Amino acid sequence: MEFFLISTLNGVIYGLLLFMVSAGLTLIFGMMGVLNFAHASFYMLGAYVAYAVSSSAGFWTGLIVAPIFVGIVGTLVERFLLRRVHVFGHAHELLLTFGLALIAEETVKLVFGDFPVNYQMPDALKFAAFTVFGTDYPFYRVFMGIVAVIMFVVLWLLLSRTRVGIVVRAAERLPQMAEALGHNIPVVFTSVFGAGAALAGLAGAVAGAFYPTNPNMALELGVIVFVVVVVGGLGSLQGSLLASLLIGLFSSFAVGIDWSAADFLALVGLGEEARSLGGLLTMQISSISATIPFALMLLVLLVRPAGLMGERG
Amino acid sequence: MTESLLELEGIAKSFGTISVLQDVNLAVRPGERHAVIGPNGAGKSTLFNLISGMFAPTSGTIRLQNRPIAGLPPHVINRAGLARSFQITSNFRRLSVFENLRLGVLARHGIRFGLFRPVSRIRAVNEETAELLSVVGLEWRAHDMAGDLTYSEQRALEIGLTLATRASVILLDEPTAGMSRDETDQTVELIRNVTKGKTLLMIEHDMSVVFSLCDRVSVLVYGSVLATDTPPAISANAGVQKAYLGDEAAT
Amino acid sequence: MARVLLPLALIGAFLLVVPPFLDLGWQNALINILIASLFALAFNLLAGQAGLLSFGHAAYFGVGAFAVLHLMASIEDGLAFPTPLLPLAGAVAGLLAGLVAGFFATMRSGVYFALVTLAIAELFHSLAPHWQGVFGGEAGLSSMRMPWGGIVFGSLIEVYYLTLAWVVLSILLLWGLTRTPFGRLALALRDNEQRVRFLGYNAHISKVIIFAISAMFSGVAGGLQAISNETANYVLFASAVSAQVVLYTFVGGATIFFGPVVGAVIFTLFAYLVSDITHSWLLYQGLIFVLVMLYAPNGLGGMIHQHLRHREHLDWSRLAPPYAVTALGGALVTAAAVFLIETLAVLFSREYEVARRDAGGGFPGYEVFGLDWSPLSPLPWLIPLTLFAAGLWLILRARQPITLLWQQVVAGSVPGDSTP
Repeated sequence: MEFFLISTLNGVIYGLLLFMVSAGLTLIFGMMGVLNFAHASFYMLGAYVAYAVSSSAGFWTGLIVAPIFVGIVGTLVERFLLRRVHVFGHAHELLLTFGLALIAEETVKLVFGDFPVNYQMPDALKFAAFTVFGTDYPFYRVFMGIVAVIMFVVLWLLLSRTRVGIVVRAAERLPQMAEALGHNIPVVFTSVFGAGAALAGLAGAVAGAFYPTNPNMALELGVIVFVVVVVGGLGSLQGSLLASLLIGLFSSFAVGIDWSAADFLALVGLGEEARSLGGLLTMQISSISATIPFALMLLVLLVRPAGLMGERG
Repeated sequence: MTESLLELEGIAKSFGTISVLQDVNLAVRPGERHAVIGPNGAGKSTLFNLISGMFAPTSGTIRLQNRPIAGLPPHVINRAGLARSFQITSNFRRLSVFENLRLGVLARHGIRFGLFRPVSRIRAVNEETAELLSVVGLEWRAHDMAGDLTYSEQRALEIGLTLATRASVILLDEPTAGMSRDETDQTVELIRNVTKGKTLLMIEHDMSVVFSLCDRVSVLVYGSVLATDTPPAISANAGVQKAYLGDEAAT
Repeated sequence: MARVLLPLALIGAFLLVVPPFLDLGWQNALINILIASLFALAFNLLAGQAGLLSFGHAAYFGVGAFAVLHLMASIEDGLAFPTPLLPLAGAVAGLLAGLVAGFFATMRSGVYFALVTLAIAELFHSLAPHWQGVFGGEAGLSSMRMPWGGIVFGSLIEVYYLTLAWVVLSILLLWGLTRTPFGRLALALRDNEQRVRFLGYNAHISKVIIFAISAMFSGVAGGLQAISNETANYVLFASAVSAQVVLYTFVGGATIFFGPVVGAVIFTLFAYLVSDITHSWLLYQGLIFVLVMLYAPNGLGGMIHQHLRHREHLDWSRLAPPYAVTALGGALVTAAAVFLIETLAVLFSREYEVARRDAGGGFPGYEVFGLDWSPLSPLPWLIPLTLFAAGLWLILRARQPITLLWQQVVAGSVPGDSTP
């Protein structure tokens, strides 16, 4: 029971974190047709900037500066780099962002070293939020969840209630029409890109203090985020949310399951045969928990190729 | 009663809450040249997309030579003997005109996964492609890239691609759109020649083309067929006039 | 035709005759160049020819490597299989993996396709370290090349010739493929998949077959690497490997057949020559890639091809000066960038951190390019700045004459001049 509760909590929060990063990605793709390979790099940049700032100015300053800095970087990238290759097609844009992700990773290694850095949460937040069946549940996890939830609410309100949001949504559906109506679409695109980057940067700043902050974090999270968008359906915010939670929960539960497929088969009396076959069947689910998102993706592809919430165009 | 080669019964298509076609009934006779006309937004291209397999109808049946084809994938429908052209030219811009047409010819010869022979050596295919090339009048452009052709040359290529698979039922989607008078006349002659002995279903806006080419006309208005008759009868039809021109013209 | 054959013949002669006289480091580099070229060409079958961008091609490279190692181990145990035919195992493994993976991946197109291929590679990457039986767990697999037919396969030069033979054979097959109906179908799929369907082709199956063939040759490349290194582990599935082949292909140029080879040669040589000198060589690779994407969208090979295509109309007497100016400008900008990056690498290094601590928190001097500098003096900052500004100015000045000249060239070329 304890395992269930904790895994669910962890899973939901991890899922919310995934959503924080994938929301920006999906929004940008839905609007501009560009899949930003470097999106997870914004996440990583956010963590590192927060680390650098917090070393001298405190955790909270870092938390504020990081998304702003990353947002500016994102804006510049879109305005001066992405826009240049727009004429060559989507594949080219994808390749460019791919190259940018490489540069981001190598630059981080250059400046901060090819090893994890000690980005820690402030002592003030190192307490237990509550106790579950005798185990303390760290407040910081809850903090991450709170930040994520605040982010959605703000995002949702912005998109559905404000004029800016309406313009953004119009630009997403029919960019040329929106432009014909007098809205400066290139500026809208640049701003959305920058905002998406800032969101990812915030996620990095928050998560980096809890999870390891190292040059590989962009790739590790990036791949999962890509799985989220394939499973959820690119361009669909609800799909991303659903998929993020699903993958978050699956991963969290899997980490605690020390059973293997052979153990399951033993329940129906085929344990010996399964164990003698070895290989995949005797691997504990906990050790291959990292593989779960990809397996899930393949499953969804087989069953529902358009993703859980369908795809846009 | 003449048996229909292509028959649509009760065809309806909605995209979400938008209903584009409501209750379309159409019967195309073998060897017939049949036009589909109607105001913009009536659903003509959607109809073609349904027939050729781009997507499935929401309800209703489509029969090609008595074989139900609604909802089948495009390549299956093509192999069953139906080919279509696209209103917005759809060719392979970076391949030569010759290669464009040859691709269709190869498919017709069943050489779809030919892995072991250089294509330049397959004489029958190359000869047939050359013939098709001259039929559509593009011999002197054979080795130019499709993307470099002029507009009317691309439309000719479009027709060529549609013919390449030697389908017995040809669907042409606004083949003379955007053409000058002379180009239109040339294209009409081309269509007349190449569809001899075949069945043609054509979306058109130009009534002179319809009159000179087609045996019967179906008028599609707001998602269903208003009338099907010979061109003279259709143009005299009060209901059709009203649909096109409003009440004043009909009175 | 002769124009193409002559350089090819020269290269062929070089590759055949010269290597025994090179030192081991260079022989090894040549082997790596050959393997990288094959991998890139296999990748380009899918990416450049069929227009399907795969970001996880390491999966098939790796699968090929492991398959070959298993076969090698069997030969060690006494299986009577000819060593020179080892790469066949890589081909078969790559083909099978490609069929299965391709079936899933080609269900979607464009960006989705890219993501699925990435995820499949990551699937292997995360699974392999735990799968002792097939992938040797974290340590991986090792095996020795066994003698066959009088050849010991102990020395590097023998491995080189084996690699050369297989790579040449594979390239010939890939080239031949472009001449077949199927090869033309791949090009058509890239241009207009929808039209292909309406011409009676089952696009999904076609794409699966292309994927499988591309994976097959990637498996051969991986197998050759396994033979050369006599070892492989799960790191072969890492995204860095998939990234490398993307870099090779697009810097070299995806639109012409030998483009990827150009990229593979450049990057492999670059890695061989530069990786010992600086830690930042991957950063340089990334920068080169981004610059090529921005300013030479068809890759370096594409640029060369462009020049060859219009060679009749190019007036070199007028083109050479601005080209020289651009080259000089480029050299200056490169020097500036290298200076800056190497300086930053030193200033951010752990050693410098220690030196700072020892100096009581100040900014002591450091050494780079064999000279001593102080971060507090303006010199180490002004130098790259001036070099960069000067180089940029030169490039911008040469831009207009070059653009004008090319406009004239393109306008002046006869329609129908294009090569299929």
